[in-house]
Order: sequence, then C-alpha cells, then structure tokens
Amino acid sequence: MVVGDVTTGTDVLIVGAGPGGYVAAIRAGQLDLDVTLVEKEAYGGTCLNHGCIPSKALISATDVAHDASTAEEMGIHADPAVDLAGMVSWKDDVVDQLTSGVEKLCKANGVNLVEGRAEFAGDDTVRVAHAGEGQGSETIQFEHAIVATGSRPMSIPNFEFDGEHIISSREALALDAVPESLVVVGAGYIGMELSTVFAKLGTDVTVVEMLDSALPAYEDDVARVVKDRAEELGIDFYFGEGASEWEESGDGITIKTEDEDGEISEFGAEKALVAVGREPVTDTLNLDAIGLATDEGGFLETDDRARTDVENVFAVGDVAGEPMLAHKGMKEGEVAVEVIAGEPSALDYQSVPAAVFTDPEIGTVGMTEEEAEEAGFSTVVGEMPMRASGRALTLGESDGFVRVVADDDAGFILGAQIVAPEASELIAELGLAVEMGATLEDIAATIHTHPTLGEAVVEAVENARGRAIHTLNR
Amino acid sequence: MVREFELPDVGEGVAEGEIVDWLVEEGDAVEEDQPVAEVETDKAVVDVPSPVNGSVREIHAEAGEMVPVGTVIITFAEEGDDESDEATSTEESTETDATTETSAAAEAETTAEETADEETPTASGRVFAAPSARRLARELGVDIGNIDGSGPGGRVSEHDVRAAAEDATGAGGEEESDSPEPAATRIEDSDEADAGETDTAGGGAAQASSASQSASSGAMAGESADRERTLAAPATRKLAADSGVDIDAVPTDEERDGEAFVTPAAIESYAEAQQAAQDADRAALAGSREEERIPYRGVRRTIGQQMAASKYTAPHVTHHDEVDVTALVEARTDLKELADEQGISLSYMPFVMKACVAALREFPMVNSMLDEEAEEIVQKKYYNIGVATATDAGLMVPVVEDADRKNMLQLASEMNELVEKARERTISRDEMQGGTFTITNVGAIGGEYATPIVNHPEVAILALGAIKEKPRVKDGEIVPRKVMTLSLSIDHRVVDGAIAAQFTNRVEEFLETPQRLLLEA
Repeated sequence: MVVGDVTTGTDVLIVGAGPGGYVAAIRAGQLDLDVTLVEKEAYGGTCLNHGCIPSKALISATDVAHDASTAEEMGIHADPAVDLAGMVSWKDDVVDQLTSGVEKLCKANGVNLVEGRAEFAGDDTVRVAHAGEGQGSETIQFEHAIVATGSRPMSIPNFEFDGEHIISSREALALDAVPESLVVVGAGYIGMELSTVFAKLGTDVTVVEMLDSALPAYEDDVARVVKDRAEELGIDFYFGEGASEWEESGDGITIKTEDEDGEISEFGAEKALVAVGREPVTDTLNLDAIGLATDEGGFLETDDRARTDVENVFAVGDVAGEPMLAHKGMKEGEVAVEVIAGEPSALDYQSVPAAVFTDPEIGTVGMTEEEAEEAGFSTVVGEMPMRASGRALTLGESDGFVRVVADDDAGFILGAQIVAPEASELIAELGLAVEMGATLEDIAATIHTHPTLGEAVVEAVENARGRAIHTLNR
Repeated sequence: MVREFELPDVGEGVAEGEIVDWLVEEGDAVEEDQPVAEVETDKAVVDVPSPVNGSVREIHAEAGEMVPVGTVIITFAEEGDDESDEATSTEESTETDATTETSAAAEAETTAEETADEETPTASGRVFAAPSARRLARELGVDIGNIDGSGPGGRVSEHDVRAAAEDATGAGGEEESDSPEPAATRIEDSDEADAGETDTAGGGAAQASSASQSASSGAMAGESADRERTLAAPATRKLAADSGVDIDAVPTDEERDGEAFVTPAAIESYAEAQQAAQDADRAALAGSREEERIPYRGVRRTIGQQMAASKYTAPHVTHHDEVDVTALVEARTDLKELADEQGISLSYMPFVMKACVAALREFPMVNSMLDEEAEEIVQKKYYNIGVATATDAGLMVPVVEDADRKNMLQLASEMNELVEKARERTISRDEMQGGTFTITNVGAIGGEYATPIVNHPEVAILALGAIKEKPRVKDGEIVPRKVMTLSLSIDHRVVDGAIAAQFTNRVEEFLETPQRLLLEA
C-alpha cells in the first residue's frame, strides 16, 4: 500500500481496454457485474489506435490513389496527388471516432473507467499508477481480474526502435511524409501489408526476410499470389537474410543483412520498418504478486474458459496466446465475463478466421487440406480461380482463388483459403459454414447473388462436388 | 417437439416462486391447460397449466424449491412427437452410420462399442454441430462429443443434445438394459473409462464421474476432503458458496494440472450428503431438546420482508384511544338480522370501514403515500381499504376497492368473500394490491392495544381492540358500557401526531354515533 492510496472494490477488474478488454467490460456491464476497466493509454488498444483500424484506413486510402492512377485499362487517366499528412489526419479522425465510441459504450454500460498503468499488488488487488506527475495512484480490490494487456511490436537485436530511423508498425502508421525508400524487415502479414501501402504511395520498398518465403504462415500458393502482386508493385524481396546491424549514412541508413553462409549484404534506405512479430505485454503486470507465471513467450496459459492457473484471474486477447487477432480477443473477453457471471460459456469455436489486407487480400478459416489430412479426414477440395469470376474481372482484379476443403465422407466444410479481392469479407460465409457443421451441399443449395465475388464460393464448392459450371472440374 | 415451461412473471416485483407441489410425474400424459404444479408466488398460490397436449418429459425443480422467474421448471413433449420420433431418428442414424461401414456383418450386429467408434466419421474427434447446439450441451451438462448426431452426416442437433441429456439423467437406475436404448447412453457408458481426458467443461465427463462416485461410495461423498487448494470454475465456487459448502472439503476424483478439480455435480452430492448428516444429527438430538426447522419461505418470508421494509423505512408512531361503541353494538345487532335475511353476515368491520373512509376524506394525509423517488406525497382520492386477515399461512391483506362508493352490505359481502379467499389461499395478487389504508382487527383474538406496522407504502394502519364491557362514568354514575380500543400507527414522515389524533377522534365520533354514517355518502 502506498501512502495516499484509495482502495475501491470491484467484481471484475479488467486491465487493458483493447478489443478483448473493452468487449469484456461492456459484456460485464450488460450482465450487471460491477466492472472496472483500467487503461494506461487509449481506449481501443492496439487494434483501434495502432493496428487494424489505422492500417486498414491507410490501405483503403492508398488503394483509392493507386487504383485511380492505374486505371488506364478502364479508360481512366488520373494522376492523384497524395498528401500523406492529410491522409494520416483523416485516419486519425476515424480512430478518434471509434475510440470515443468505445469510451461512450463503456460508460453507457456502467463500466468504471480508470486511467493509469495497473500492476498486481496482491492476491486480489492491483495498484493503478495514474499518468503524470503528482497524479498519484489508487488501489483496486477485485473479485475477478481479466488480463487484457495485449501485445507490442517485437524488436530484434541491434534494431531498437528509435522512431526515426528504426520504426515499428506503430510509427509507420503515423508518418507525416512518404519516405523515399524503406527497408522492411520481415515478410509476415504486417510487413506485407505495410510494404504494399508504401509501395503504392511511391516508396521504394525492399523486404528482407530471414525465412525463404513471404507470409510463411500461409500455404505456398496463397502466399505466392500476394508476393507476385507485390513484386509487380515494385517491391524487392530478399529471402534467407537476417538483418544484423545498421548505421546512419547520409540522409538515411544502411542496413546489413547476413545469410546462413555468413555472407553480408547492404541495403540503403531512408528508414527501416521492423515487422518481425509481436510479443505479449505481461512484464509490466507484476504477475509474481498473484503467483502467476508466463510461458517462455511471455504468454499466459488459459483453458477453454479463458481462466489462468490462478482461480480468479482470466486472460484474454494477445496475452492469452496465438493467434493474436482482435476478433479472437473479443470472443475471449465475452466468454471470460460470462464464466465469471456463472454462465455455461466456453471457447469452443471450431475455427478463428484470419485476414491479411494485402493486394489481393487473404482470408482463411479452419483447416488447410494438409491439416485436415493430418487430423484424419479424407478430404475433398474445390477451387475457383478469380479469373473465371465475372465480378472479379469487372473490378479489374482477377488474381487469386477461392479454395474450399471438405470432408469427403459427409461433405462437412472443414476450412477455406481465399486469396482474392475482398477475401476478408468472403471468408465470413465459410466461417459460418465451419461453425455450423454445414456441408458442401448446404452451400451449393444456397443461391448466391450474381454478379458478386461470393459466387466464387459456391463455384469452389461445386468444383469439390465435381459439378462446377464455370470452370473445368478436376 | 419439446416445449419448455418457464416460471412466468405472475405479477409486479415477483422475482421467484416456491414450487408447492407437483401434480404430475415425468412420463404422465397431460392435456392443454391441465394444472401440473402449484406455485406459490408472493402471497398467492397459482396453478401452472400445461401449454400442450402431450406428456411430461422432465421436471426440473423439486417441490419446496424456490425458483427464480424465467427458470425452466418443466419440459413437455408434444403429442405424437416424443418417443416415436426419437426412436425413428435413432434408428435412422444407426442405419446411416451402418451403411457407411461396408461390412455386412457390422450392419447385422451393431454393438455399443462400434457405435461409439463410428460416432464421428474421422479420427480427429471433431464434432459437427451448430454453436447453439454446443451451448445447449454445456447448459445441460452433456459432453457433445459423446452424442450421436441424427443430422446429415451425423451432425448433432439441439434435439439430439436434449435427448442425450435426458438419457443421461435417466440412465442411472437401469444399467445395461438390453432394450434398444438411444446410442448416446451407451456411448457415455463406454466412454466413462477415459472420461478424465474429456474436457470437464462439457460436463458429460463430470456427470459420469459423479455418477460413478455416488454409486460406488455413497459414504465418500459425505467425507471432507480438506485440501488446501482446489480448482473449480467460478460458477462452481458460487454454487459452493450458495450451498454453504467449503470447496476444499468437497471430495473429487478429477484433476486438472495435478490439482484437485471440483465440478458442480460434486458440490451437489456433497451438499446433499452434508444435509443428510445434519438431519441425522438433529434427529439424534431430538430426544433432549426438540426443535423443528421450518423454511422461511413463501408467505412467511414475504410478510417478513414487507414488515421489515415498512418498519425500517417509515418512522412509526402509534396513537392509542378508547371509544364507547355501545350505540354501535345496538345498531349492528338490529341491522345484522336484516343483513342475514339477505344472506350477508354483517360484522363491525363495514361500520369501521365507513367511519374510516369518512375520516380519511377529511384528513387526506392519512390516505396517502410517500413517493420517495419523486419526493412527493401522493394523496389518494380513492379509498381502497385493506383488511388484515390471519390465515394458516400467515397474514394477508385483501383489499376492498372503492369503499366510499359501496354501501354497508356491499362492503360486508365483498369483504367476506375476499377474506374467505385469503383463508383458502385462492386469492389473487391483484386482490391484495392497491390499498390506500389498512384496518387490522387484533381484538378478534384478544388484547387491548397493539402497535400495528404500517402496510407500506400506505402511511397509516388502524388496529381495533376487542369490544369489552367496561365501567364508564356517565353523569356522575358508573355505568357499564361497550368499549373498543383503537391503535393508529402512522408513518411520521407524512402524518403528524396531531393529525393522527384528529383522525382517530373523527373515527370515534362515527363509531360512537353510528347514525352519523347515514349522512355520509
């Protein structure tokens, strides 16, 4: 106890107001629990402030500019001028609207909002240090706590973020001028999304990846569509090379990379964006005080009710492990609170859909063919190339495909991989199919609107049944 | 189709009800509107009617149990639907499963084990079911992984989940029945061995283990385990707290990460065992100091809550006085005969009601309530007089509405009817609500004075003592007179002592000279 502390009590204390935390808080309010939400920085967390929303805002904005400038084929001749500061300011407006919305919703649902950095002080207490000199602190006693502190960009040795030369995705989304050249370290989804944004804005982008392919989390043919398109946009890829050190040179920097044979290469650029992944924020919580330890990756282990090893402590979102996706965190937040309220809730979803906002987008859900086979299913797969989609052609974007993986015996949809325009939206239908235990026949018998991209889903399904109309059945 | 019946919201502010008695048993055939249970809510006992023609599928609450409004207390199977459907669907699914198995031999004798193995067509253990069916399985405590789905390809539907839940609860008694039971029961039995591996969240495993626990060692359930640390879901902890059980004392076979893990089922069986032990102890002690514990429920508890609310909310002051009712006794004796001729029993109460209404008109503060939220005193321009009535179940207050607009005989007959209903406990909540002033006749049983508690949110209550012959001084002579005592309790926030005294005086004037009532409307 710190002198001057005021102790208050709450049923549910939530640390972190990102998607996992704020959803948990609002749900708790709906369930008439007394709930306190502690946030050190900004409501909405990484997702709203430094991740999903700002990146998608900039991706959309750059697409507008890029599409206009490359639409000669459609008979459009334009040379848009991009004012990055204006674009960022529009993005900030979007973010502000959403974060203030979250704050209002929390208040409307009776959530006590506390600003400050929380750390555990004992079995059932946290101390919240308020930001700013002399702002003091308070102690909050809780019945249940939900850790929802999220994650932060991971750095690599010799590449500490300085906000000037070495930046993370967070700074990249807040630049006030388009860099002339950029080295992106890491070809995962964040690296690929931001590379695409800057390439479309005219930046000379070089991607350095330690592994031997882009988007290593995705199947080769999925990743290849995106990488090919990125190369068309002028992005250079160097695989099998790890960034080892950097130095200032003239206006910019020189980055040295090393391959497995020890060969050194040098890349000059204005800045380096390090996007090698994200790590959970659990080191600021003083978890020792409640007898909770993290695994090697800094994650808190949880069960299917979002419970940690300590009875009354739950963990949701990025701190609870992969996949680090906002929508997974939201669902976990909901479940944690419902469990606290005594409801028979559990995390028994069959799949977590994922999307990558590259060009074209990637949307996946459930199992790949390989995963399904490993799980013991005999599979049947159907595909629909986007070049056979009327709607895709009218959009002038016909790269990619829809692939559906199903169980060959009963026809249950097990998963899908889409790389196509609007794949992030298209995947929703197949997510529902996986959750419902829908069969190929169920989707085939559902009339899809024409002309839409969604028709590609039913075509892929019919392809799996050997009954495709618009492609040759394999 | 299965129809659930939730305890309905029978009136404002009623949050729960007590199941007094079940009038049917599981399996009984029922007709639409046939009463199936008696539920006591607040002060009234209501019949719960069946919404369908069909049969009773499951009774979810025991007689004597307090049930929150909205809880499913009974499920019905609609006519022509239930068992026959279940049988066909099970058969169908067995057939479908069998056809996927090419061996003709397997088709000929599908054993329990084989059905279990076939339950999902793959090795992954993945169960195909809609999220709503998954949630239902958790709610009913069934492991969805153990359910044989009847949908396309073995998809598990909500119906399948309900059927499995029912089989699981019904399975305990009749083991190894050789009649063609639905597959889920058999699967559950065969899965019992590796139940530990199944996620306890589903509950099927929990149920299986608790069943084996109670079967194998009834004594064990009662023994305290006395651990230092116990893992359990928060909801289970709440259940333990609500049941007055120390979770560390609950025996369990289950473990999570090497720690003892307690399920709701374990809590329930332990709590029951503890209760039984306590009852036994009490019985053993009964010889020396006999006591009986009566649940503080239903009407008794409602009265208690109402009284406490009134006493702790309204500062009570009671004004006492005596009134010479000799003339009233005479008047009533004369009128009683006339009333009897009309088949109406005329007590003193209608006279008192009339006297009170007349006095209330003059002192409207006494016929009011305090709206605390709005910070307003609400003076009622209508006169609904409550008549406190002792019943076997406890105090009830039927309300005679618009007493000012009814004549003496109407008041008498209506009041008699309401009082009778209260005593028989057939009175509805509506008939006990909306009072503006209450009269309680303590004298009927005996006693001189009382300090009645105001029937909140009214602000005054009048208690009548017994009419007794007492010596009075009249013109210097001591004469015997009929005297009744009056005790008026008031909510002093609204009514001052002076008004209480003036009001009582006015009531007395009418009772002393009952002819004056003739001048009243």
